[in-house]
Amino acid sequence: MLSVAISLAKREFVRFIRQPQRVIGAVAQPLMFWLFLGAGMGTSFRPAGLAQTSYLEYFYPGVMVMMLLFASVFACITIIEDRDAGFLQGVLVAPVSRMGIVLGKVFGATAIALVQVLLFTAAAPFLGLHLTLFGLVLLLVGFVLTSIGFAGLGFLLAWGMKSTSGFHAIMMVFLMPLWMLSGALFPISGAPGWMNVVMLVNPVFHALEIIRAPFYGDGLALLGQSGYLISLVVVVAWAGLSLLGSMKRVGKRERGV
Amino acid sequence: MIQIRSLTHTYPASRKQAPRKALDDLTLAVAEGEFAILSGPNGSGKSTLFRILCGLALPSSGTVTIGGFDLFSQPAEVRRILGVVFQNPAVDKHLSVAENLRLHADLYGIKGDEFARRRDEALGWTDLSDRLDQKVETLSGGLARQVELAKVLMTRPQVLLLDEPTTGLDPASRRNFLDALLRLQRQWKMTVLMTSHVFSEAEDVDRVAIMREGKLLAYDSPQALKAMIGTEMVVVQPIGDAEELAASLRAELGLAVRRHGDELRLEETENGAGLPMLEGILDRWRGQIKSISIKQPDLEDVFVHVTGKAVPEHATHQAEAR
Repeated sequence: MLSVAISLAKREFVRFIRQPQRVIGAVAQPLMFWLFLGAGMGTSFRPAGLAQTSYLEYFYPGVMVMMLLFASVFACITIIEDRDAGFLQGVLVAPVSRMGIVLGKVFGATAIALVQVLLFTAAAPFLGLHLTLFGLVLLLVGFVLTSIGFAGLGFLLAWGMKSTSGFHAIMMVFLMPLWMLSGALFPISGAPGWMNVVMLVNPVFHALEIIRAPFYGDGLALLGQSGYLISLVVVVAWAGLSLLGSMKRVGKRERGV
Repeated sequence: MIQIRSLTHTYPASRKQAPRKALDDLTLAVAEGEFAILSGPNGSGKSTLFRILCGLALPSSGTVTIGGFDLFSQPAEVRRILGVVFQNPAVDKHLSVAENLRLHADLYGIKGDEFARRRDEALGWTDLSDRLDQKVETLSGGLARQVELAKVLMTRPQVLLLDEPTTGLDPASRRNFLDALLRLQRQWKMTVLMTSHVFSEAEDVDRVAIMREGKLLAYDSPQALKAMIGTEMVVVQPIGDAEELAASLRAELGLAVRRHGDELRLEETENGAGLPMLEGILDRWRGQIKSISIKQPDLEDVFVHVTGKAVPEHATHQAEAR
């Protein structure tokens, strides 16, 4: 199963790097969001309860999550393209496990997302953010889990879609709000009560927590903090459930009545 | 090798459509090493049957065994012995020929020296040897089709399913594709079931199945099917109203007269009876006939006879182009 998943993931990655416009778009869009929104909002707003933090710095982990969201979810659009082109049918009739098919797509999406977000991580020292070695490991774990969560969700949504335009619409009304309510743009402490609850049950909020935390805490000490551990468990559960849901979806065959 | 028993498939109702029965108690068997062609007009249920045989859909009722494995309860076992060629080549057009073959081998667990041996063998059946590094999107339709066939045959399937694999190919490419397929099928004693609209493709195979409205109307060797409608046919091209002449021929001769484009075809004539009939028709209807001839029935005639429908236009064009 794993070797099949790796072969399919490798294909995703090769296709990605052979499409320069996709590479440029995936990196440039979140970068522009960060620079323009961060710089513009920084002079007008100060995040509630974070007097010492610039908006550019506050927004930085949020842009990382956005990069993971875009890269992972857009990689899943290829499911619709593969189906239209006939490639997907060829994979479905091959003697491979359904989980291998899911993991192939998800690993490919994750690899694409990781390349982008790791390049962006290089900007951290310029914001005065530093990572310990263990903190870097935890950050990587956060990136991978978040990317799997998004890719699994993207897979689940794309599988039933007939057109890429339909997928874009779903992404804007379903996936973008998950990011908006993650604490990427504003902290949970300043949000109204009802939104507080929505944010707490949003897995992307917890993904942002485990990505933001290594920049501000000692890596090892984080593992002793209940808040961090709860977020980690939520993200692991989200990633696992989205993978299982995707596998179930792939295994489901159209049935006559 | 392929046993289909009492297969029925009804598509569920949708907002725009009532439930639709696509397969109706279909029973069909393809013996080991046989090459069978499945034909029928549009909407006859061929595509639905193909999707079920590939394991992409489950029927309403009935059973299918392939290579002794139950398709619905043992799909993984069936996939291991099955090769599938879809109407749209299931290749990645952004990857090279070599990359497509490598990826397909990975899906089937073919590795190392075994992969290299099978890849080289597969390339030997094609014109792709010097195009390994070329992206599939830059190849012609015929060559892209060869990539598809090479990658499927590389896995040495015991059973091969093909869904109108020659669609969109020019006559020369189609002939090359079919010749390679027939040669390998005979050599490996592979069981092949192929859907096709092009009746010239069915002349060399072992059996031809004709479907209509989800039912199997005929299933036999091409020779036996042609014998069903007699050994000779009289073909008449009318000058004026074809329907009027057809009605007159039917009434006076008591034979089956069918429209085939602009022509009228008189079936079920015995060997040697064609010429006297031709002379008799000329004597009686000379003023209404542009031309008249005798021909041996072909599979197109069988199709029209069995289904009562004209041959699909694109199939006729392809056959004529040939």
